[in-house]
Amino acid sequence: MVPTSLYILLSAILFSIGVLGVLIRRNAIVLFMSVELMLNAANLALVAFAREQANIEGQVIVFFVISVAAAEVAVGLALLVAIFRSKQTTDVDEVSILRG
Amino acid sequence: MLEFIWIIPLLPLIGFLVNTFAIRREREAGLVATGAVAGSFLFAVIMFFLLAALPVEERQVNVVLWEWINTGGFRVPFGLLFDPLSAVMILLVTGVGSLIHVYSIGYMHGDARPVRYFAYLNLFIFMMLILVMADNMLLLFLGWEGVGLCSFLLIGHWFDRSRVPPNLVPTNAAVKAFVVNRIGDAAILLAMAAIFSQFGSLNFFNVELGDTTLPGFIENAHTIAGKTFSIPGQTFFVTTGISFLLLIGVTGKSAQIPLFVWLPDAMAGPTPVSALIHAATMVTAGVYLIARTHEIFSPTTLNWVMWIGALTALIAGTASVAQWDIKRVLAYSTVSQLGFMIAAAGMGAFAVAIFHLLTHGVFKALLFLGSGSLIHGTHETQDMRKMGGLGKYMPITFATYIVGALALAGVFPLEGFWSKDEIIATAWSHGHFVIFAMLVIASLTTAFYMGRQIAIIFFGQQRDKSYHAHESGWLMTGPLLILMIGTVVGGVINLPGTHWLIDWLHPVMAEEAEPFNTTLAVITGVLAVVVVLASWWYYMRNAAKIKVGGKDPLYHYLGDIWEGMAEAWYFNEIYNATIARNYRRLSVFLARTFDPQGIDDMVNGVGRVLGRAASGVRTSQTGYVRTYAFVFLIGVIIVIGYLVLGL
Repeated sequence: MVPTSLYILLSAILFSIGVLGVLIRRNAIVLFMSVELMLNAANLALVAFAREQANIEGQVIVFFVISVAAAEVAVGLALLVAIFRSKQTTDVDEVSILRG
Repeated sequence: MLEFIWIIPLLPLIGFLVNTFAIRREREAGLVATGAVAGSFLFAVIMFFLLAALPVEERQVNVVLWEWINTGGFRVPFGLLFDPLSAVMILLVTGVGSLIHVYSIGYMHGDARPVRYFAYLNLFIFMMLILVMADNMLLLFLGWEGVGLCSFLLIGHWFDRSRVPPNLVPTNAAVKAFVVNRIGDAAILLAMAAIFSQFGSLNFFNVELGDTTLPGFIENAHTIAGKTFSIPGQTFFVTTGISFLLLIGVTGKSAQIPLFVWLPDAMAGPTPVSALIHAATMVTAGVYLIARTHEIFSPTTLNWVMWIGALTALIAGTASVAQWDIKRVLAYSTVSQLGFMIAAAGMGAFAVAIFHLLTHGVFKALLFLGSGSLIHGTHETQDMRKMGGLGKYMPITFATYIVGALALAGVFPLEGFWSKDEIIATAWSHGHFVIFAMLVIASLTTAFYMGRQIAIIFFGQQRDKSYHAHESGWLMTGPLLILMIGTVVGGVINLPGTHWLIDWLHPVMAEEAEPFNTTLAVITGVLAVVVVLASWWYYMRNAAKIKVGGKDPLYHYLGDIWEGMAEAWYFNEIYNATIARNYRRLSVFLARTFDPQGIDDMVNGVGRVLGRAASGVRTSQTGYVRTYAFVFLIGVIIVIGYLVLGL
């Protein structure tokens, strides 16, 4: 059986990639994908620990996360469409109108 | 039946409310206002006879309508007092008031704001009735301030005119009257505080209120006799302190030295207003106040009262001689006659002061309404130099004005003779010979300026022929005729043999009529006639020397003295130079310098410091999502690091 530590390592790698994606990329869609990546990294960690502990709750939480993430994507894409309609771009640096 | 005295002030109040909220047309406004006051007068007459029917010692009705203020120890009833003193005041206010309302219908015809005018006139009558019917100082003060407000509103009735003769700005005159009166009113407030601290109540007489009795300070004035208070270096009787504060209030409202300067300017208002407020009723409120609270006036204060009154009578009398404006002559004359009343009160002859108040209220209203009729008939001419020879065009005004003028001059047997003679006789019999001399001279100036005025206005040739003089309508001459009858027979109320008024007021004043000094009366009576005739003759003879815009014939002999008289001995100039100008300078400094540079800079400075501090921090708000995410990440790392490593 693959040890849990490897799953966690994979999860950490996926999460870091997600963070870097959010910090570095400017395309809003890629930003969303990065966020999804971070969410799923967390999901992976949850499932791995749940398996090690023989605990069903960790797996249940993952389902909640997936459904919330789906809702979040729906709202987020709607926002994205709205931004695109007014700015003709999906570059998040172009919508920095809250600059102090 | 006497408990219904509240109907007397209620009717003018209803008139005011109806005129304010319901009526839009001039004719209806005049009818409603006149009806309200006339009804109030008729009711007052009935109440007067009911009061007279009571035994002498029961002639005091104190009706508490409701408890007005109740804050623990400070309790004030809304109570009305009906006794011999307030009864005669009510009759004067509503009686003369009704006639002036009727006259106003004619005089204000075609005015821009007649409804407002009549509403204010009704409000004034209401406030004046509250003033004379109040059973405590606070309610009296409500009326006192109310009439002041109405005076302000009515002086400024023509606020849209930039100038009215004689070169007055109505709004400025109104503000001046209001501000000068504030000085006196502040003193009244202090007097009320002092009275409350001494007696625990502001009531004049003991009043049952619920389960307690409020002590009346007039009834209990003897309890603080001999009590003293000290300011560094001086010790005074408490009664002196209280009464002196009241006296300051009186000098404001009754236009005495040093606060009389507002009354001549108050002539900027419509003439019926001058007749009602600034001759017959409001300005006599001070005399009423002294008469009402005379128990608390100490001999020291009464001495001051006497001197202030006599000085005012003299100074205003001389000022009146040198005026060209028909209303200004009467205004200074009013100040002078008020001085007579105040002087009489200062000598302890309160009933005599009230007698002169009543007769003056009638004949001075007659004179003011007569001058209004002249102004009306000569198309807004007020400068006497532009008049002349008007007797043949305006016979009724002429006849009534002559009667009023002779009454004012003190010619036998008109009412002014009786009341003024009694004041002068009191000064003589009380041994105040300097006061006596001042009052005699003042009364001679009265005779002189009335003779002068009659000669200049009614006799000779019309000097300014640009207008066609005509007699006024019946609405105006009717009240003149009624007031003329009152002027002729008014002295009856207190003839030397009967002295009804002094006996009537005896329950309030406890004052006995003095024996009639026939010699003195004959001398003053003859002197009055002689001076009137002399001045009339002088101005008839020198009629040719009076030119429009020119100098008085006497100016040739008196020169600077005449100038001083014309300017009322420069009181206005002195106040301007010392108080008004410095105060304005202070105001300008505060408005132009202190406010923008002191207050504004302080407030703006706080804002600027905060703004500058904020501009350093605001650069962190880049608006880039990744910046926020990065900060967020660092925060998470720190928190997790702390939790994991247990730092």
